[in-house]
Amino acid sequence: MDNMLEMYLYETNTLLEQLDELLIEAEKNKDFTTNDVNEIFRSMHTIKGSSAMMEFSTLMEIAHHIEDLFFYIRENGLDSMDESHKNELFNLMFQSTDALRSEVEKIENDEPLSTNIDSIITNINSFLEKISASEGSSSESNSAKEEKTADSTQPADEQKIAVINQELAGVPKSDLPYFIRINFEQGSGMEHLRAFMIVTALKDSDLQFEFYPNDVETNSESSEVIVENGFYIGLSSNKDVESALHVIKEQNSVETYEVIENASLKQDKPETPAPAQNSTSSESSSDSGSASASPAQKSSSAPAAAHNNTGNNTPVKQSLISVNLSKLDSLVAIVGEIVITESMVTSSPDLQNLKLDNFMKSARQLRKLTDDLQDIAMSLRMVPVAGTFQKMNRIVRDMKKKLNKDVRLTIIGENTEVDKTIVDSIGDPIMHIVRNSMDHGIEETAEQRIAAGKDPQGEIILSATHTGSEVIISISDDGQGMDPDKILAKAERNGILTKPAYEYSQKEILALLMLPGFSTNEEVTEFSGRGVGMDVVKKNVESVGGTITITSELGKGSCTTLKIPLTMAIADGMEVSVGNSMFTIPIANIRQSFKTKQEDVILDASGNEIIKCLDDFYPIIRVHELYNIETDVTNIEDGILIWVEAADKSYCLFVDDLLGEQQVVVKPLPPFLSNFNIKTSGISGCTILGDGNISLILDIRTLYAAFYNQY
Amino acid sequence: MSADTVQNTTNTVLEEGTPVSTERFLTFSSNGLNIGVSTNYVIEIITNHMITMLPLVPDYVKGIINLRGQIIPIIDIRLRMGKPSIDYTSSTCIIVLNINSIQIGIVVDDVQQVMDIDQSRISPVPVENQQELISGMVSSDMHSVILFLDCERLVETY
Repeated sequence: MDNMLEMYLYETNTLLEQLDELLIEAEKNKDFTTNDVNEIFRSMHTIKGSSAMMEFSTLMEIAHHIEDLFFYIRENGLDSMDESHKNELFNLMFQSTDALRSEVEKIENDEPLSTNIDSIITNINSFLEKISASEGSSSESNSAKEEKTADSTQPADEQKIAVINQELAGVPKSDLPYFIRINFEQGSGMEHLRAFMIVTALKDSDLQFEFYPNDVETNSESSEVIVENGFYIGLSSNKDVESALHVIKEQNSVETYEVIENASLKQDKPETPAPAQNSTSSESSSDSGSASASPAQKSSSAPAAAHNNTGNNTPVKQSLISVNLSKLDSLVAIVGEIVITESMVTSSPDLQNLKLDNFMKSARQLRKLTDDLQDIAMSLRMVPVAGTFQKMNRIVRDMKKKLNKDVRLTIIGENTEVDKTIVDSIGDPIMHIVRNSMDHGIEETAEQRIAAGKDPQGEIILSATHTGSEVIISISDDGQGMDPDKILAKAERNGILTKPAYEYSQKEILALLMLPGFSTNEEVTEFSGRGVGMDVVKKNVESVGGTITITSELGKGSCTTLKIPLTMAIADGMEVSVGNSMFTIPIANIRQSFKTKQEDVILDASGNEIIKCLDDFYPIIRVHELYNIETDVTNIEDGILIWVEAADKSYCLFVDDLLGEQQVVVKPLPPFLSNFNIKTSGISGCTILGDGNISLILDIRTLYAAFYNQY
Repeated sequence: MSADTVQNTTNTVLEEGTPVSTERFLTFSSNGLNIGVSTNYVIEIITNHMITMLPLVPDYVKGIINLRGQIIPIIDIRLRMGKPSIDYTSSTCIIVLNINSIQIGIVVDDVQQVMDIDQSRISPVPVENQQELISGMVSSDMHSVILFLDCERLVETY
């Protein structure tokens, strides 16, 4: 059951996300394509079906009504709506998807579903009424349809339909216009599987359809129902019916089939003859059969759209599977073990001084394979940032409406891949920054922008790029920029300045923005200025090992840049020894390592050692003193200095010796140790070396803090 | 040795007629005390493992070990209970415990045996002798007393 729920949530969330993207795209073009309409219809139908199965009736109801609405739109063509209707439809759709999403969230959090969904349903229904009323010409058929769709009880003047409905009490769906009833040869047996074969064949030919009984694949008892009543296939258009019949005719042991028209007219067509299908046979054999889902009269835009559809969707569905993240994690962990064990075996002391040509050859091969395996395992966790970026579209769209600012969001490099955990943790920071840009960055009115000589439409650029081991995400706007004087004044009022105001450089002033207790906006708005501000963003980014910088030019706009490591699971490290202990310093933090002489070391006023590197002075932190490790190397000339840098901290570490560079698999420290604030003592994790020993990974940023907290 | 053979405790009177629920305990010695820990928590006993020290932690946290790829923190039960430390000998063992899915290793002087103990015979520690980490005690034959380690307390957050 849990598993099903998980699948349900995954599927529904994915559909809602796709729907959101689609709506944003459609709204940009100010119009729906027939393809969009079909897509929405399909999504809603799936959500409705699976929600009904899981007995989430609110979700089912909402989806059901949207489906009805789009059924109407599909049948009557998009031209039946004028501009204002379309606008209203967009708002209505965003509202509805939000309602669906909030319900899904409730399911995720195990809260009871809301019972009062009348308002949203009334909205949908009244909109449906409005558009159907505006179309006078076909009002008769409309009202008939509306009646049918609005209350889910069927007209039921058709006995056949009633039969279907009776049989399918659990499936609240039979408003498709066409049904095909199939009877199998008597006594052919395994009717449900034969039916399922037809279903598969129809799916292969890209048709959109429903079938009853709908549990033929799993429920062998359904064969009795099929023997008795026949097997029903519901289709949405005449064209579909024809291509479906084409497929059905090729199936074995189909004795008879008939096409039943739903709604007002009933036309029993016993044994539809094979000819009269010259056009459709060519159609269904070619792949454009999917186009038949769209009404025939819309053929002008349909072929291209349908082509797009098959081009985009089909391969994606076939080449992606969803895997539980914890399974991936354990895979990565085991691969890490294999890599370590492999080097333990091949460099085993037992093999020293032995001449083992064949062994060495195999060992090299093994090493190559394990390296490949590791690369693949690591890449499994990499996902494109597109998902996170796409969500910003929606935020920009909503705020655009609320704040009445005209802004476009440009996304660059959305296919950049980042570790899954990192993608998850940068979503909120990016959202916060985008909101800030929308709220404070972009000028209040278009006039202000024109006066400043800018395009009346504001622009926010969201971009992601790779640089070696880091991904750089930047969010820039072409708004009014930040006024350093104002920031300084505000910071002074809030009492967060640590030195006289005039001593602050531009860079330092902008860094003030990210201090706790700073928010440039006086009043709290819906979107930003809630007191928790950039300091939280900074903390989030730093928790995944990233850094954040802000640049801004008054009147030109500002840019926030996040630098984030590609993955936290693997890192290049420098092994160093202090006494009997070994430590790993991330290569990314190391600027330089060098020997020094006693006379180059200077003592500052409080007796701390400092040293000059490239015209600047940096403190020396002796690791053996900080961590109370016994070592023979206490003379600064005997050991080695490593100049390290992290965020805005730069200093030199004094260690006994460098042992070499190595790629290490980062392992978190056991949770038990968090009792002892191990994270603030400058150790971020550990790694297992080739010989099975453990090396502690130093966190250059917190180590500096640990050093100064000692005094 | 079976706990049922011991009849000279005050608790036996209360037991008559009630079903006997026994639990299996691993006993070890530390600083001359016999301490038992429920085998439900015990994963394995290891010896001679290289412990990697951690900086800036209380002295009873000896460090971490690599147990077949898993990183397990090690605490010295002597130091944890405020007793003097001794040098590790060949009989010094690490008992690896899994307490509410937190894995932890404890350094003990010597591992003794596994025994079944009737839970109803476990009596609380007298108030005036209360000691951290001990949840109860039972007297066994040979005039010895077994104390029970409060495992949950051991991994509690502070």
